[in-house]
Amino acid sequence: MQPSYVPTIFFITESEIDLNDLLGQITQTSTGAAAIFTGMVRGVTSRDNPHETEYLEYEAYIPMAEEKMKQVADEIHERWPVIEGIAIVQRIGRLYPKTPTVLIACTAAHRDTGVFDAARYGIDRLKEIVPVWKKEISPTGELWIEGDYIPKPGE
Amino acid sequence: MNKIKLLFFATIRDRAGTKTLELDIPFDLTIQGLKDKLSKDYPNLKESMKSVLITINREYAFDEAVVPANAEVALFPPVSGG
Repeated sequence: MQPSYVPTIFFITESEIDLNDLLGQITQTSTGAAAIFTGMVRGVTSRDNPHETEYLEYEAYIPMAEEKMKQVADEIHERWPVIEGIAIVQRIGRLYPKTPTVLIACTAAHRDTGVFDAARYGIDRLKEIVPVWKKEISPTGELWIEGDYIPKPGE
Repeated sequence: MNKIKLLFFATIRDRAGTKTLELDIPFDLTIQGLKDKLSKDYPNLKESMKSVLITINREYAFDEAVVPANAEVALFPPVSGG
């Protein structure tokens, strides 16, 4: 059964991401499962190009970023109509290792509804089309991190 | 001429040395035309124009698109949020 009302939260913030508050807002009486992805600043990277990170400086084109986060939520609804709630939050500003920077949470009645895939889709899509960038400050200098996705018409 | 507002982010802003720019453009200027104009008028941006993403009024726009009057046009590198 598809939920008649789907709480959908999406915003850019400079404040700490409050998982419990967000989870409360996307939990309905019919909800029995939530899949949550959160990414944090990694202080020590061993894969690919091993290095250390002092902090990341995030910036966003806020009005467009929030519109595109809404679009990601709409795409999730379309692909997984049983999803009962969606929260997409990106934190910006100067963020130090271990700090959560992004959160995608999807809720559903049960865990076998595609709720894990929905959350995975949300973070993958955010990293493709939501206009946010980060500059990495390491002991050896500063470097803007650039993605590699080129949006197509209609995205 | 049409008035438009340009917004620069991340590496593009660093190279432009400014966050915003007001510009007068011809009525039929396309995104490709805008890139050419910026490359010519702001040599620092020339290299960036190869991989830049451009939006018109907060939607992704492509080379053939004509820039409308009073548009908010943003230029930025591929996104890296998360």
